[in-house]
Amino acid sequence: MKEYIRELFSGYVRIKVIGSYTELFINRCIEYKIPIWDIARLDHETIILSLYISDVRRIRPHLKRTRCKVRIHERKGFPFILKRVIYSRGFLTGAISCLLLLFILSNMVWSITVNGATPEVEHKLKQAAVEIGVTKGKFIFQLPSNQELQRQITEKMEEITWVGVKRSGTTYHFEVVQKQLPEKQPALSPRHIVAKKKAIVTKMYVEEGQAQVEENAYVKPGQLLISGFIGKEDKSELVPAKGEVFGRTWYISNVSVPLTSTFLTNTGERKTSYSIGLRHFHIPIWGFLKPEFSEFETVKHKTNLRFLKWDLPLTFQTKKMLGTEEVTRTYSKSEALEAARSVARKDIEDKTSDKAEIKKEKILHHEEENGKVNVKIHFEVIEQIGKDIPIIQGD
Amino acid sequence: MAKWKHNLKTWLTRRLELPADAVMDLPRITMVGQLHIYIENHQGVLKFSNEEVRLLLKQGQLLIKGKDFMLKTILPEEILLEGKIEHVSYLERPEN
Repeated sequence: MKEYIRELFSGYVRIKVIGSYTELFINRCIEYKIPIWDIARLDHETIILSLYISDVRRIRPHLKRTRCKVRIHERKGFPFILKRVIYSRGFLTGAISCLLLLFILSNMVWSITVNGATPEVEHKLKQAAVEIGVTKGKFIFQLPSNQELQRQITEKMEEITWVGVKRSGTTYHFEVVQKQLPEKQPALSPRHIVAKKKAIVTKMYVEEGQAQVEENAYVKPGQLLISGFIGKEDKSELVPAKGEVFGRTWYISNVSVPLTSTFLTNTGERKTSYSIGLRHFHIPIWGFLKPEFSEFETVKHKTNLRFLKWDLPLTFQTKKMLGTEEVTRTYSKSEALEAARSVARKDIEDKTSDKAEIKKEKILHHEEENGKVNVKIHFEVIEQIGKDIPIIQGD
Repeated sequence: MAKWKHNLKTWLTRRLELPADAVMDLPRITMVGQLHIYIENHQGVLKFSNEEVRLLLKQGQLLIKGKDFMLKTILPEEILLEGKIEHVSYLERPEN
């Protein structure tokens, strides 16, 4: 049995030995310890016998000595089976397509995990990821880079302060920091509410504390609006003043708008080419032609191709050529004024709080100078004017 | 001298009950029906064909006759022959 297994694994040949002194050949084989077996006589001059492949070379001198010739009759055992299998076309195509499949699958997104988000946000995040294109089965090299993904998702999701995108192998990890919704304010310390800028009070809403000014009163910065002292003089109590005070305030903003300006815009024409690169050498695989448009900016994105857990030295490069155009914009005077207004409005909105409302705006003055229009605009705004200051009690 | 040695060996095997094949370099032949014949202590193959195998022994030769012979295993001192064995005989070397 053992012998049989060895025969199979190391492989053996059936050979025909032809000569007048075949018995002598057998004896010499025994003498030199070359294992032979299953010897049978075919005819007067020919015997057939089995021999390990590794011994085929060793019988040569004995053949010469005994003047025998040899013919290989059959090859048996694993080494030969293996050879036959490997060189058969079916096996070869199978093996190649298996490797190819593995290679393709190694470059796909297989799972997406989200960390640190509530189920609701997680669901939304996954949807946002799908919109961008991060889904199971997508090719990794088709997706934008991690930083780009991070930026896009953060932009899309309002609930998220920050999202970290990490890719390990075929898995995308999203590390989420959720925005903290404003919690109930903790117990406040006693305080007053004072005006932060000069204004005319238009509306007051006192939740706690004592109002110190009336509507339509003119207040200066620092003037007490809602006092934290309540009750009568001798029985006064300290509370954190709470309330909203709206007042009319005034702003003047100076804006200058150039009448003509030139800038680059994208024409919307775009062309994408793909190439596979090995170090600095790139082989284009799609999009060989130069774009028809003459001016363009290129955005390149490279991704390493992977095989199982290894990064291959091959890179997949996506090159986007965006057609650009130099545009000259010329404003007429009225257009320039309108542009100036919108710039100024934006400016005021940035300066004031969310609840502010622009009541009136008026162009005080405008002049043309060196191809620019300088505009001075007066704004009347209704906004919150209260500011908290803590009451520091003396001893 | 040789004769004297031979006599001593014969005497020893008889007296001490030592196996004769070991002491005297005699072939040990085992047969399984007519199928197999297993010969130890041979000295080489003199003739091998489908009907006849002749082996060299220390003294004389062994002649095996039959049909469809095949040497299953052949080692320096052992032979396993397969086929249909009909006849086994010793050919003694003429005394000189």
